Amino acid sequence: MSDDLFLQLSGNPRAKKLIQSLGLPLPMPQPLARRSGPWEARPLADRSVLLVGALDGEVGRAIAGAVVRAGGDPISDAGLPALDELGEAWGRPRRPLADLSETERVDAIVFDATTIATPAALRGLYDAFHPHLRRLRPCGRVVVVGRPADEGDATAAAARQALDGFTRSLAKEVGRRGSTANLVVLQTGAEARLEAVLRFLLSERAVYVTCQPLHVTRLAANDAEPPSTRVLEGKTALVTGGARGIGAATAKQLADEGAHVVVLDRPADAKPASQVARAIGGSVLLQDITDPDAPAAIREHFAQGGVDVVVHNAGITRDRTLPKMKAENWDLAVDVNLGAVLRIDDALLADAPVLNEGGRIICLSSVAGLAGNVGQTNYAASKAGIAGYVARRALDVADRGVTVNAIAPGFIETRLTAAMPVMIREAARRLAALGQGGLPEDVGQAITFLASPGSVGLSGRVLRVCGGALVGA
Amino acid sequence: MATRKKSDESKDKKKKKKKSSAGETKAEKKAKSDKTSSGTKKAAKKAKKSATKTASGTKKASKAGRRAPSKAGTKAPAAPAPTRTRPTSHRTRRAVIVGGLRTPFVKAFGKFLPLDTIALGDAATAALLERTSVPRDVIDGIIWGGVILPSAAPNVGREIALDLELPPSVQGMTVTRACASGLQAVTTAAAAIERGDADVMIAGGSDSTSNAEVKLPQKVVHAMAPLAFGKAKGPRDYLQVLAQLTPITEILPKMPKIAERTTGEVMGESAEKMAKRNGITREAQDALAARSHSRAAAAIASGRFDREIAPVHVPGGKVVYTDDIVRDDTSEAKLSKLRPVFAKDGTVTAGNASPLTDGAAAVLLMSEEAAEKLGMEPLATLTSWAYVGVDPRDQLLIGPALAMPKALDRAGLTLDEMELVDLHEAFAAQVLSVTKALASDGFAKERLGRDKAVGAIDDAILNVHGGSIAIGHPFGATGARMVTTMANELHERGAKRAILGLCAAGGLGAAAVMERV
Repeated sequence: MSDDLFLQLSGNPRAKKLIQSLGLPLPMPQPLARRSGPWEARPLADRSVLLVGALDGEVGRAIAGAVVRAGGDPISDAGLPALDELGEAWGRPRRPLADLSETERVDAIVFDATTIATPAALRGLYDAFHPHLRRLRPCGRVVVVGRPADEGDATAAAARQALDGFTRSLAKEVGRRGSTANLVVLQTGAEARLEAVLRFLLSERAVYVTCQPLHVTRLAANDAEPPSTRVLEGKTALVTGGARGIGAATAKQLADEGAHVVVLDRPADAKPASQVARAIGGSVLLQDITDPDAPAAIREHFAQGGVDVVVHNAGITRDRTLPKMKAENWDLAVDVNLGAVLRIDDALLADAPVLNEGGRIICLSSVAGLAGNVGQTNYAASKAGIAGYVARRALDVADRGVTVNAIAPGFIETRLTAAMPVMIREAARRLAALGQGGLPEDVGQAITFLASPGSVGLSGRVLRVCGGALVGA
Repeated sequence: MATRKKSDESKDKKKKKKKSSAGETKAEKKAKSDKTSSGTKKAAKKAKKSATKTASGTKKASKAGRRAPSKAGTKAPAAPAPTRTRPTSHRTRRAVIVGGLRTPFVKAFGKFLPLDTIALGDAATAALLERTSVPRDVIDGIIWGGVILPSAAPNVGREIALDLELPPSVQGMTVTRACASGLQAVTTAAAAIERGDADVMIAGGSDSTSNAEVKLPQKVVHAMAPLAFGKAKGPRDYLQVLAQLTPITEILPKMPKIAERTTGEVMGESAEKMAKRNGITREAQDALAARSHSRAAAAIASGRFDREIAPVHVPGGKVVYTDDIVRDDTSEAKLSKLRPVFAKDGTVTAGNASPLTDGAAAVLLMSEEAAEKLGMEPLATLTSWAYVGVDPRDQLLIGPALAMPKALDRAGLTLDEMELVDLHEAFAAQVLSVTKALASDGFAKERLGRDKAVGAIDDAILNVHGGSIAIGHPFGATGARMVTTMANELHERGAKRAILGLCAAGGLGAAAVMERV
C-alpha cells in the first residue's frame, strides 16, 4: 500500500464527494482495480467488451477468443462466425450494438484496425470511439490492434503509425479514470499469438501497462498452444535480487503460476532471501552477481534440468551529477545493471545451453533510464544499454523459441520512492496518465506475463509498466 | 480450449513416462516386462476368441442390415460373455437391471413429513423386494444415494438392510454426489457386479427435505463444549458460556438452503444466469414445464407408472398412492403468470423449476448369470457412464452437455442412435441450455474437440413421461427413478438404447447409456 494521500481520499466515497462538491483543485486519481493470486480461467467473467473495427479472418477469431474464452460478454455488430460459435460454446452470445441502452457501460473496447491502410480510413477510429468512449467504466481497457508500419507502402505506413499517436493520446484521456489504452502491432502471420497478449492486456493484471505499442511478431519459434492457467507448471525460474521489492513480488507471482523459483541475492541478504523462498516453496542461491565467478556458479546450479525463466531484477542506483560522480560508482552501476546481466546470459547460453528451449529472459530497464534524468548518467547508460541488448540478443535465440525482453518500470511505490522529496514524488505520481504510482506487484504481473508461454509473440522489446509516464519511451 | 487441454495432457503424460522410466530400477523393469508378456499372451488368446465370434456376428448383422454388437446383446441374454466390438469389450460380465420401484414423490413438508430418508428408503426397498420376490439371501449388499444425510446414521444403505431385517450378511454403503447420487449408487453397484465383487445388488436413493436437520452454528457447539465434555462447574462457567454467545443473531439456527459452498449462489440464481447466458426465454421454459406436467399426468392416468410406484403407509394409518406434484390442469398460459423468484427481471419461476420433494427409489441389479439362475427377466444394462466436473462459478448446471458425449464415446455410440433421452429437470432453463449446447457446432468444436455438434434431441423422445419439474426431485432418488423409468420404457417400447443426463451441485454432470437386454 502506498502512502499516496490523494489516492486514499479518492478511494473514500465520502471524502471524494466532499472534495468534488467543494470544488477543491485536488488530484483525484482513480484507485486501480487489481487482481492478485494465480491467473484465473476467466479473467473477464461478467465483463462486457465492445468489439469494433474490421473483425474478420484470423485477427477477428483471435480477438473473439481472447474475449469469449476469458469469460467476457461480447457486444459487436461483426458478422464473424467464430464469435457466434465461441459464444454458443461458452454461453456468451454476441449482443448487437443496437442492444445497448443510452446509459449502458462497458468494461473494455477492442478495435481491430488491421485493415486500416490510408489516412481516410483513420476516420473509422473516430466513428467507433466518439460515440462509445463515454461508456467505458472506470478502470476500463482500450486495445487497438494494427499492423506494423513497415508492412506495405508509404501510405499504409503513415496510416499505421498514426494508430500509435492515437492510442497514446487516448491513454492520456482515459487514464484519469484509471483506464488504460494500448496498441498491439501485429505482424502478418503472428495472428495465433494475439489471443494471449490481448487476454493479458484486458485483464486486471495489466493495470499499470498503458500508452504504448506492443509488437507481436513471428520472431521466436514456437507454435504450441499456450495454457491460460498455471502457465508455468513444471518450469524453473531464476529471479536475481529476489529478496525484496519488485524481485520478491515477482518471485511470488511466478510461484503462483506453478514455477519452482530460485531466489538469488547477495550473501548479505541471506535472511530475507530465504524468507521469500520459504514462503513460496522455492529455493535460495546466494551469489554476488558482480563476482567474476558468479556466472559459472549459476550455470552449475542449473546444470541438472536447466532453467526456463531468467529475471534479471537485481539493480542499483548510484546517483550523482557527472562532475561529482566517483569512478567506482560509475563502474558499480554499469556493472550490476548491465555487465553482470550480459555475463550471466553468456554463461547460460554458452555451448549446451542451460537455458531451456522456449525459455524466457526478462531484464529490468527503467523509464527514467530510457528518458534520461539528472544525476543518473551511469544508471541511464546501463538501463538504455539493456534495451539495445534485448533487441539484439532476441535474434540470436529466436530459433530455440527463447524470447528476450525488458520491463521498464516508471514510478513504482517502493522504499526508494518513499524516501524521495515530497514535491518531486508528488509530481512524478500526478504526471503519469493514471495520476498515481504503480505497485511492485504491477511490475511482477508484467514480468509473469513475459515469462508465460503465451508471450511468445513479444521478443526483443521493452514493455513499459509506467502508468503512462509523461516522458514516454 | 478442448484441443488445448488435450495437448497439455499428452505433454503431461509424456513427462510422467520419462520420469518413471528414468526412476525405474532394473529389477522393476524386468518384473514389468514379464508381466506384460504374460498379459499379452492372455490378451492374444482372448482376441482370437472374440475375433471368431465377431466374424460370425458381422455376417448375421450384414444380413439383417444392423450393427453387430446390438444383435449380440439382444439375441443372447443367456450367453456368459456377449461379444462386443465397441470399446466396452473389456467387460467380461454384464450387470443387468431386473426391476425398479419408487415411492410416490410428494411435496416436502407434506404427506411424508413423519418419514425420514431412512424410512423412505425402507419403503422403496421393501416394495422392491416384494414385487420382484428376489430371495433375500442372494442379496450381496445395498448401495444408497442421499444428499441430506441424517448425521446420527449417515450410512443409510446399511440402516435400510437392518430395518428390513435382511440377513446380516447384506452389507451396505451410502454414496453422495449431490443430485447424481442415485445414479452414482446404480453405477457403483453395476461396477461391483461387473468386477465380480457381487452378484445381486440393490441400489437406490432417497431424500427427505422435510427432515433436514436444522444446524446449530459452530460457534454454539464450540462454546458449549466445555459444559458438555468438561467437568461440571458452577453458575459462573455457565455465565461465561452465555457471554460467548452474543450477539444473539450469530447463534440463531439457520434454515438449510441449497446454496453452492464455493460461490454462495442459490441454485436458482445459477439457473437464472444460465438462462441469460444461453438465451433461453421464459416462454421456452414454461413450455417445457407444461409438457413435463402433461406427460407425467398422462403416464399416471394411463397406469404407466403403476409398475414402478408402490403405495406407502404413513404412520397414522394413511396410505399415499400417487405423486402429488404433477398437475394435469396446468398450461403454458397458467405458468406464464407466475412471478420470477430469483431475479426481478428473471425467467425462473416456481413453475419451471423442480420443487423440494420427499421420496425414494430403488433398483435391483444382478449379473446376467444370476438373473438366469433366479429366473428373473433382465430389462436393461448400463453400457457406459461418465461423470464430469465444470467450474461452478461459470455455468453450474451445464455438466450433462459434457458428460453425455463422454458416455456416448465410451459406448461407441452416437446421440442419434438413442431412441430415448431422459434429462433430469432441475430447471427448465438448465435442460434447454444443455440441449442447446449439445446441438451446437461451436460447443462441440470448442469444448469437445469434435467437428460437428453432438446432435439435436427430438422433443418426442426427450423425457417421454415428464421429468423432475412435474414428478418432483428428492435429490438422492432421482437417478434411480430415471434408471427405472428408462429400463421399463426400453422394455415396453422394444426400443434399444436410452441415455440419461443429470446435473448436480458443485458443477457436476453425470450421464449413462442404457441398452435393452
